[in-house]
Amino acid sequence: MTDEAWLSALAAELRRRGVGEEPGRAALADAASHLHDSGEDPWSAFGPPERYADAVAESLRVAVGHSSSPGPLRLKATGIRKRYGRREVLRGVDLTVHAGQIAAIVGANGSGKSTLLRICAGLASPDAGRVTIHGSVSYCPQEVSRTAVLRPDEHYMLIGAGAGLSRPAARRTGRAWASRLGWNDPDPALARHLSGGTRQKLNLVMSALTEPDVLLLDEPYQGFDRGTYVSFWDELWRLRDAGTAIVVVTHLLNQLDRVDHVLDLTEAAA
Amino acid sequence: MDQDRRNQWLRGVLDLCVLALLADRESYGYELAQSLESAGIGHIQGGTLYPVLLRLQKTGLVTTRWQDGGSGPARKYYRLTPEGEAALSRDGQDWQTFAGIVTALVGAGGPQHREGVPS
Repeated sequence: MTDEAWLSALAAELRRRGVGEEPGRAALADAASHLHDSGEDPWSAFGPPERYADAVAESLRVAVGHSSSPGPLRLKATGIRKRYGRREVLRGVDLTVHAGQIAAIVGANGSGKSTLLRICAGLASPDAGRVTIHGSVSYCPQEVSRTAVLRPDEHYMLIGAGAGLSRPAARRTGRAWASRLGWNDPDPALARHLSGGTRQKLNLVMSALTEPDVLLLDEPYQGFDRGTYVSFWDELWRLRDAGTAIVVVTHLLNQLDRVDHVLDLTEAAA
Repeated sequence: MDQDRRNQWLRGVLDLCVLALLADRESYGYELAQSLESAGIGHIQGGTLYPVLLRLQKTGLVTTRWQDGGSGPARKYYRLTPEGEAALSRDGQDWQTFAGIVTALVGAGGPQHREGVPS
């Protein structure tokens, strides 16, 4: 592979990871000048393009000024209990999330992760305990959208209308979000014709569109390819740094060192 | 030297070494790699060095400017910001304290002190 081929492969990998135009160009120019100065082979100097793109994306995601002092309280759940029949899935669970924080809810299947999130969203009632939310809240369910007869743009405008966004603004914001998740063609298809992964993107875009103070996400990455998954976490960190309080249910543990709280429900289910 | 161990150490201090090299004057990526090598750190791959530079830039410890590279592509020059100078002085002192403790510990456990220990 020539330098040019390696650099263009790197450019493609950076785009796939949602690295912006400007930092992407700078990373390419840095690599090109290094290769020129050193006369080294790109594979030995930088390794495979996809791995180097990971390193670049990771470096760019360093939270700027992400202070350890949290913002105002956004969500407080105390003593949440929930029983299904004879089985008590939640036994007095507490969760506190401030503005600019991400909390991850993890745990085995059936440990009550989704139930807790639905209770936080106000969609299910706890048998005991209390949830207080300060500000607006948005919930992204695990099941993908079933408003199958609308186009993506129509989804954005519908959701946007509820938050007082004009139709052009809602469409623009929605498409910008979609493109950051690697969904670039403003696909005219009806939602029921979209692939599972793309419908999941639509779901996620809708929940984030109105810029809620509290964003509740239930494993919102089913069907995402690796590049989209990386972009998804980039977006979460961007929202966090902008002051959103985020709760994300996940069974993937490799990002947990980068969240602010981890609530493991496995014990509670035992 | 054990390469794995050297790489582990480097991960913790490479940013500090780069800040130190930039304390005197601005420099560009490949020149920094050469300076690190000639200082005895060893060969630093571009794939290791540039992400560190990106992080330093992103956290505001260095600023950059592009300059035409004459015959070759443009070069990005890195320069310390006041925050970078402060980080270098603070983290540099922390490192010296830490390295001093490790040196004392390792020295105390060295072979010259083991003589006479019953086996």
